[in-house]
Amino acid sequence: MSRLAEIAISDELITRACAGEEAAQAAIYRGLGPAVFALTRRLVGNRAVAEDLFQDTMIVLFQRLGEFRGEAPLGAWLRQIAVNRCLNYLRSPWHRARLHWESADEDHDGSLRPTMLPVTPPTSADLLDVERALASLTPVGRAVVWLFEVEGYSHEEIARFFGRSVSFSKSQLARALARLRQGLAPQEDQEACTPI
Amino acid sequence: MHTDMNDKSIARRLRAAADEPSEAPYDWAEFQRRRHSSVLTRVIARGLERNRPMAIAAAVAAAVLVTVFPFFRSHHAHTASTTPPVKAVRSNEGDSMEQARTRALEGWLAALPRDHAIVRVGTRAAVSDLQDQIAALDDLMSAERVAGAQPTRLEALESQRAQLVNSLAQLQYAEMLASANP
Repeated sequence: MSRLAEIAISDELITRACAGEEAAQAAIYRGLGPAVFALTRRLVGNRAVAEDLFQDTMIVLFQRLGEFRGEAPLGAWLRQIAVNRCLNYLRSPWHRARLHWESADEDHDGSLRPTMLPVTPPTSADLLDVERALASLTPVGRAVVWLFEVEGYSHEEIARFFGRSVSFSKSQLARALARLRQGLAPQEDQEACTPI
Repeated sequence: MHTDMNDKSIARRLRAAADEPSEAPYDWAEFQRRRHSSVLTRVIARGLERNRPMAIAAAVAAAVLVTVFPFFRSHHAHTASTTPPVKAVRSNEGDSMEQARTRALEGWLAALPRDHAIVRVGTRAAVSDLQDQIAALDDLMSAERVAGAQPTRLEALESQRAQLVNSLAQLQYAEMLASANP
């Protein structure tokens, strides 16, 4: 699966979708949908919330497809919409309230909570470790580390997304990476000692 | 931030995770269904921004629809089944009683109308959360099976899933009764 920003959709398909052709819209949905959902799931963690944000993002895609100028791949344009929606959610009072409820009965042991499970079942033990380590991060920390390390956003861009300073982005990233190092360390140690 | 070797290794593993195959949560047809079902909400929201009388008229129309609709829906709900099966109707060979009971409950849940006419936010959130947890547990069980997990581990997960399905059935049943008797 390509990352969302790298997915290009043909101009011809976009033109047909803009003209309201449902088959073309369905093809775009099938082409971009999986990567959009994967991204929203990574950023917000909770599957139900990710589904809502996914639906919202895809609706906006078809509403505003006519505004797409083709200066970047359609996936990159859509990624911006999806990221904005996810970060708006993370900043919302509703999300903070939800975190409060969840923290009331959470044991903070870094285990993979059911609602935090990956988009698809992990295909390797290493991936399961990564998912578990990601699940142990705070939502903001997870979003920052994902945007910086995977999506390639700069600290300046991330700071702008959150309406905070560059040092906020850097400190969030440093903390998230430290926690990931901690979460992934046993796996690395084990690999070094495992006989082939 | 990329100077540390460990950080590079973490970044590489994160990117590998991002490259894993993924799927949209539902297909195009379901997307369209949800898209159209949210049209009324969006029309009212847009109307509130631009034209208050129109928005109020739309809201009243929607309220009337929501109020009247249960009378049609409740009949359907009662004719389908108002009682969740507490005993397994039919079990596959090899299924434990708990599994058979879970299957029966799942069958009853599947036969329920997809959306109730009157939705209580608190109940809906709890239902969504339980559905989410069951789906996530299914994912986890699939992953554990692929990884060759111990039978005892799978049994524990199965038991956890059965409890969740049971809770969901109770909640849906309560919601159905509330919807039928507004």
